[in-house]
Amino acid sequence: LGAGLVQLAHLHTSPNSQAPVPALPEKGGKTRHGIIPEELFQILYPKTGVTGPYVLGAGLLTYILSKEIYIINHETFAAACMGTVIIYGVRKFGPDVAAFADKLNEEKVQKAQEVKDLAMTSLAQAIQDEKKEQWRAEGRQMLFDAKRNNVAMLLETNRRERVHMVTNDVKKRLDYQIALQTLHRRMEQEHMVNWVEKNVVTSITPQQEKASIAKCITDLKVLAKVQQAKTTA
Amino acid sequence: MHWRAVGHAYTDRKMAGKRAALKAIDWLAFAERVPPNQRAMFNNLKTRSDAIGAKLSSLPEKPVTIDWSFYKTNVARAGMVAEFESKFSALTIPEPKDTATAAINTQEAEANKAAVAYVEASKARIGQYEKELEKFQNMIPFDQMTIDDLNDTFPETKLDKEKHPYWPHKPIAEL
Repeated sequence: LGAGLVQLAHLHTSPNSQAPVPALPEKGGKTRHGIIPEELFQILYPKTGVTGPYVLGAGLLTYILSKEIYIINHETFAAACMGTVIIYGVRKFGPDVAAFADKLNEEKVQKAQEVKDLAMTSLAQAIQDEKKEQWRAEGRQMLFDAKRNNVAMLLETNRRERVHMVTNDVKKRLDYQIALQTLHRRMEQEHMVNWVEKNVVTSITPQQEKASIAKCITDLKVLAKVQQAKTTA
Repeated sequence: MHWRAVGHAYTDRKMAGKRAALKAIDWLAFAERVPPNQRAMFNNLKTRSDAIGAKLSSLPEKPVTIDWSFYKTNVARAGMVAEFESKFSALTIPEPKDTATAAINTQEAEANKAAVAYVEASKARIGQYEKELEKFQNMIPFDQMTIDDLNDTFPETKLDKEKHPYWPHKPIAEL
């Protein structure tokens, strides 16, 4: 058992075990007449030429038949019939069945390939998206700049409003004084004019009125006389 | 383009004195960086900023100057104009206090921290994706694989012979 263990330890230690596995074969081994492997013909060719394996086969057949190692009986005929039918069936329908099976396998492989392609594209896309999101996150500075700008603008607006309010109020008060003064002056003026008018009207006594009317009449008479004299002259 | 014009208006408005100068904001570049699910917030911010800027530019910088000599000669009340003038020139208008900038700065610090964490997580994710992508790229083609190779590459295809000891080694519904 000890010797066996030593041999066991030498398994899978040669560098050949690390070599890549050869590709899976596409087709089965080559055969001649469907059953006999081609290698047999190749092995016997150097010694016996082309006819060697056939002679070997014929000789073997003769031997087993004559020595009655294989006895011909009913089963032989049944085997021959069944063999014929089977071989006929396989030769006729074999390629179609093989194509069908190949198609099934092909579909499986194609599905797997689609899955693989989809996975690869989606992974690449995901990597792109992650990089884009990182780029987006880099721009966060701008948001805060905008906010600080807004705050500064609001403060400045407030300050200006205050200044304007103060000056406008002061100006309003001064303008009010001026407007008040002008109003006073106008009212005094109007009042004085009315008062003078009223006094003049009341100071015209009825006697003075009669005297002034008489004077007007005499003046008119004189004017008429002068006019008459002018027209006749 | 309207936005570009507004951008230039912002750059022209520099504050004199102690107040911080307004930074020019490139709204176009900003808009590019906004993710689609935050676009509404960005639009609100922009409209608000535009409104504030418009209000600011509508107010003149210097107030109306008061012609003191005119008032002195015309106002009859004695001493009123002189009193007003002295008080007015002595008046200092208190500047509005800035309460929001500190909050904005703390917000910015937090956002920076969150962003750094996010970028780290994002890089980890990218590493993961790249590893899987490499696995797919180095895979042998499917028509060269045996079932054992398939189980090695995609562990989820391995049939669990302990859980389902009888063929087909998976629930019938999954066939």
